[in-house]
Amino acid sequence: MIRRSLNFVIRGLILQNRIVKLLKKDFYIEFRSRASINISLAFAGITTLSVSLTSATMNLPFRVHSILIWVIIFFSAMNSLSHIFIREEEEGTSIFLSIHSEAEEIYIAKLLFNFILFIVITVVVTPLYLFFMQIWPENFIFFASSVFCGSTALSSITTTLGAIVAKTSMRSSLFTVISFPLTIPVLWISINLTASSLEGGSVDLLNLLFLLAFSGVIVSFSYLLFKFIWMEQ
Amino acid sequence: MFLYRLVYVLMPIGIFLSLLWVPPANILGDASRILYFHVPVAWVSFLAFLVAGLHSIALLIKKSEILYREAMAYNSAAIGMVFTVLTVITGSIWAKVSWGHFWNWDPRETSIVILMLIYIAYFSLFSALKSNPNRWGISSVYLIISMIIAPFLIFIVPRVYPSLHPDTIINQDKKIHLEASMRITLFFLVVTFTLLYGYIYKITNKLSLIIIKLRSSHDI
Repeated sequence: MIRRSLNFVIRGLILQNRIVKLLKKDFYIEFRSRASINISLAFAGITTLSVSLTSATMNLPFRVHSILIWVIIFFSAMNSLSHIFIREEEEGTSIFLSIHSEAEEIYIAKLLFNFILFIVITVVVTPLYLFFMQIWPENFIFFASSVFCGSTALSSITTTLGAIVAKTSMRSSLFTVISFPLTIPVLWISINLTASSLEGGSVDLLNLLFLLAFSGVIVSFSYLLFKFIWMEQ
Repeated sequence: MFLYRLVYVLMPIGIFLSLLWVPPANILGDASRILYFHVPVAWVSFLAFLVAGLHSIALLIKKSEILYREAMAYNSAAIGMVFTVLTVITGSIWAKVSWGHFWNWDPRETSIVILMLIYIAYFSLFSALKSNPNRWGISSVYLIISMIIAPFLIFIVPRVYPSLHPDTIINQDKKIHLEASMRITLFFLVVTFTLLYGYIYKITNKLSLIIIKLRSSHDI
């Protein structure tokens, strides 16, 4: 019994160590070229400025503000979320990665990378938008949690779809086509939650939990199914 | 196969029941008869999606008869796509009669369009994976992930957000608010359309099997 639990702990530590190594590798490569992060942040900044330049003087309803925030976040992130897998395919390192690491390790490392990237984009876009549009959420904690839960759900689904797209012949154009229908429920609920938080509505715990549950379900299934996408069967 | 051939007898009876036997609804009049086609085709569009997803799970677990199982999932999705388009068309006609516009962005209308987009995305992905030997695995994963998300769209979102759609079939009272003759006709057509789906599905699967065998004999 003790031996079994010890084995389990050791295996867990090895897995964690390998995931951290893969994550470090992705961060080193990404920050060496800074291609995807630069494009995403530039896209986010330019779109936010363009929107505020044309509509800052208008008295837009909170729902429209919420839609604009999520459209900017979604399309800024779209530029780079699939890049983490596409880069491995384009540089020919995906086979080496498959030999070197287990599918589950690759999935968790890429998921964490995308999650961090998504949060960085959100942290850049949201304050910029609030500053330029001269609005302030009535219920800030609710606003922050709605943006956080929405980002978590979006990064969990787009990570799996990014891996799928990396294996096809028409990568970037296909990513938008296959991810849009599956991200709609998340966007739908996130927009409603953000609008409600901007208006000063009470905390909608049910919908926040829905987003977290959605992320949990998608991550669990993706963890189980990732080997069928990434490894040659 | 005999069971599915019953559709030749049941479909004319169903058309007779829905267009002539059942009395028109109180406010909508004869336009309400579209219900007897709209609900069954909507049901089949979801059923086909479910079957495609279940075949994908079976394919990933068994990893045998790959080409045939992959074709079975694809065929079900293709039939589902046709029925989803029919659902959108019949729904739009009904919406025009009831609410004055063909399209109202009602949560249920939106969810069926998203289901259609998922089908379109699946076919796009399938064709983009043509040269990939692992196509069966990747397309199966996409169908399984879509199958997990579909209930959120079809069953949860329309119930969370206010909808113009009548809740006659599944509602908070868990009762069917239809007259007996209407209920009989509706369920009769749901069964008939399910058999029609099964019949088309069997034929397309047989066709796929013939194509697979022909291709393999060519390879030999």
